[in-house]
Amino acid sequence: MSESFRSSAGRKVVSRSSARELGSVSHLLVDARQRRIAAVVIGRGKKAQLVDWTQLSGFGPDAVMVGDESALRPPSDDRERAAAAGKLELVGKRALSEQGNELGELDDVTFDAGTGVLEELLIGTRRVHAGSVLGSGSYAVVLGESQDHSP
Amino acid sequence: MLLMTASQIRGLPVVTVQGGEDVAEVRDVIYSPEAGRLVGVTLNKRGFLAGRSRDVLPAEAIHAIGQDAVMVLDESSLVTPEDAPEDVGHPATERNVLEDDILTEGGASLGKVADLVLLVGSSGEVVGYQIEKPGGERGYIPLPAQLSVSGVALVVPNMTEEFVQDDLVGLGGAVDEFRTRLGLT
Repeated sequence: MSESFRSSAGRKVVSRSSARELGSVSHLLVDARQRRIAAVVIGRGKKAQLVDWTQLSGFGPDAVMVGDESALRPPSDDRERAAAAGKLELVGKRALSEQGNELGELDDVTFDAGTGVLEELLIGTRRVHAGSVLGSGSYAVVLGESQDHSP
Repeated sequence: MLLMTASQIRGLPVVTVQGGEDVAEVRDVIYSPEAGRLVGVTLNKRGFLAGRSRDVLPAEAIHAIGQDAVMVLDESSLVTPEDAPEDVGHPATERNVLEDDILTEGGASLGKVADLVLLVGSSGEVVGYQIEKPGGERGYIPLPAQLSVSGVALVVPNMTEEFVQDDLVGLGGAVDEFRTRLGLT
């Protein structure tokens, strides 16, 4: 089933073993090279925690299920700390072609809720296949040449 | 053909294709009039550490120059002057053509060099100059691929005078025709 970054923000994260609500989805951290979701970021700022995609038991329409509380962990490297600070959030990020031309702002990203594989990027009225993503960081999402519509 | 002046390139962020990070910004372009192209750019730091950077970016390491950013593959493209080619790490100051007089082979002055015009994308070829005409108004001239420069004046073919343009769009069309007439293409 197809899901989107925008619609999954705020979704509750629930422990399968205790049925307790552990928090809610702040945003999703992507692995640009693999073009898939690497982790779910829960909460913001210093209290932010991550759950690796591989630790999820289900990314459902009403809740994101994890085995138990031990699946939540603090950020462990610079990239994850940047993610916890909200710097790598894709929605709202500037999209830049590899030719150095701005394409607009990223409005949303769709992904397969079963696998975490990215499907499409929505930039204004345009839909761009996620296969064109070359890199993603705090400044921009960089897209391959075929997406360059510069004059 | 996308043309930009050197002043439009100054201040652009330098962004990594693989990381999506702005790792520097362009302080100035380093130009070789003999080679007729950009050989590299000098850099400023971004963010909290803003200010002059020691590192330079050789033209060979530039992935593309666009309207909104200079793209590099990753941060290793930025090198110290010692690790850069000689003409990038230690550019000769007499290479600066700004304010130089532009003389035709026949001895007429077309004005002074006000800025460089580059063909951007992945090449960085300098295809023209923005000039300040003797009357003070701005114009654009196309250039042959190579040029004689002395540090105070430079010499262009006589027919350059016929190709003086009012804007960058006009120059885009003029460059090809100019070079065809010179027998360069």
